[in-house]
Amino acid sequence: MEKYKYVIIGGGAAGVSAAETIRQTDKGGSLAVVSDEPHALYSRVMLSKPNFFLGKIPFDQVYLKGDDWYKENQIQFLGSKTAVSLDGTNKILSLSDGSQLEYEKLLVAIGVRVRTLNIPGADKQGIHYLRTLEDGKKIMEHIKTGKKAVTIGGGFISFEMIDLLKLAGLETTSILREAYFWEPILDEPSGLMIENALTKNGIKIIKQVEIAEVTGAETVDGVTLKDGTHLPCDLLMCGIGVVSPIDWIKQSGVATNKGILANEYLETNLPDVWTAGDIAEYKDLLLEENVQMGNWVNAKEQGRIAGLNMVGNDRHPFKFISFYTTQGLGITIAFVGDVAPGQDRIIIPRGSPAINSYARIIIVGQELVGATLINRTAEMSTISKLIENNTDISTHHADLADPNFDLKKLLG
Amino acid sequence: MSNIKEYVRQREGSNISKIVIDRDLCIGAASCLAVSGETYNLDNENKAVVIDADSVDDDTLIMSAESCPTKAILLFDKTGKQIFPK
Repeated sequence: MEKYKYVIIGGGAAGVSAAETIRQTDKGGSLAVVSDEPHALYSRVMLSKPNFFLGKIPFDQVYLKGDDWYKENQIQFLGSKTAVSLDGTNKILSLSDGSQLEYEKLLVAIGVRVRTLNIPGADKQGIHYLRTLEDGKKIMEHIKTGKKAVTIGGGFISFEMIDLLKLAGLETTSILREAYFWEPILDEPSGLMIENALTKNGIKIIKQVEIAEVTGAETVDGVTLKDGTHLPCDLLMCGIGVVSPIDWIKQSGVATNKGILANEYLETNLPDVWTAGDIAEYKDLLLEENVQMGNWVNAKEQGRIAGLNMVGNDRHPFKFISFYTTQGLGITIAFVGDVAPGQDRIIIPRGSPAINSYARIIIVGQELVGATLINRTAEMSTISKLIENNTDISTHHADLADPNFDLKKLLG
Repeated sequence: MSNIKEYVRQREGSNISKIVIDRDLCIGAASCLAVSGETYNLDNENKAVVIDADSVDDDTLIMSAESCPTKAILLFDKTGKQIFPK
């Protein structure tokens, strides 16, 4: 049995960031990175960006580390393998190829998987999901010949893929189960701004419907909705959420909820087992609740903190205000901090759809906790600082509601 | 030529004299802000802009460029040589 001081399961942003951090301090400790993919670290966030898809960015730009980086840093890369069970008492990890690894310290940074359709016809060719480089390549190839596309879902994957499909010249229909785009993270006016951008670009939107069946012989030729409507298409793009692949680790006694549970140091309940990235459901010190956050910046920063904690004697808490941005079809969208809906939230509208610039400032008690920004990304950084500083904004509701008020004035 | 923006750096003792943002590559992932909010902001087009080229030391600046998931931040030394990405 191979024995390593550090074993990291997951070769994405969180896992590699942890490996890099460990190596900065511990130059000689043996380290293995297990990945379910064969690739060196690549930019998962680039996979959904039109500039990449349409070939404006050279394909190889997607790789953030070369194979030589792992060798130079004496990191054993174990690709195309998944973890299948964990013995936390004897510190042994079993992999899908039958091998076992003994570890002193383990990081579980396995990410999440796409939720897939579970309806008749879901196995046909021409149905796409987007998580891996291979998924991206398949879509890149298909959009060259595709004519008519249907997208399912009202979140960021769908939004970015609609932009791409439109740029690639496909006639596109967007199907949402929800009443408006990005419900319930955004409010209806924000959602309608996005829908207007879509409609202006010739995208047809059908709301509050679900797909009953994917039709066609071996290849998709359309979808039938639950109301009986049939939409012809040769490409079906699904962005219908994610699932956490945690069944294998539950038996080991690692505490889970939706993701793998961790405290603010990203420690799980098992000794010497940490978690980071999309799979981690960690205690967020700023929001004072357990959250699972799926984005690149967050994963990278969590990997760094987990790496520091695995290598050192000092425990570093993960304290970070998350943000996420996207753009397309002439609109920019940014989320900062905690944007989850909740009854205790006070929402202050800032700007309006009428002026094509609309933010929602989210407050709990006297403090700002988050914001959603449509065409106002430039304010994201200031809002992030206001959240971080725990600025008391209780007497500034009118200022926050004034789209021309400079938020920097509240920084003091 | 692609859509690039150059920012001159004049921090004393620094080996880096220019920061370049390739706006075609930038996707607004904002990882550079996470490393150095003193240096960068995003504009309303979701593209990174340099707000203060002199605020942080060379190590932090290199870390911020390294953090970019599209390698949209380029750093140059005083002789005009590109030092990141290598």
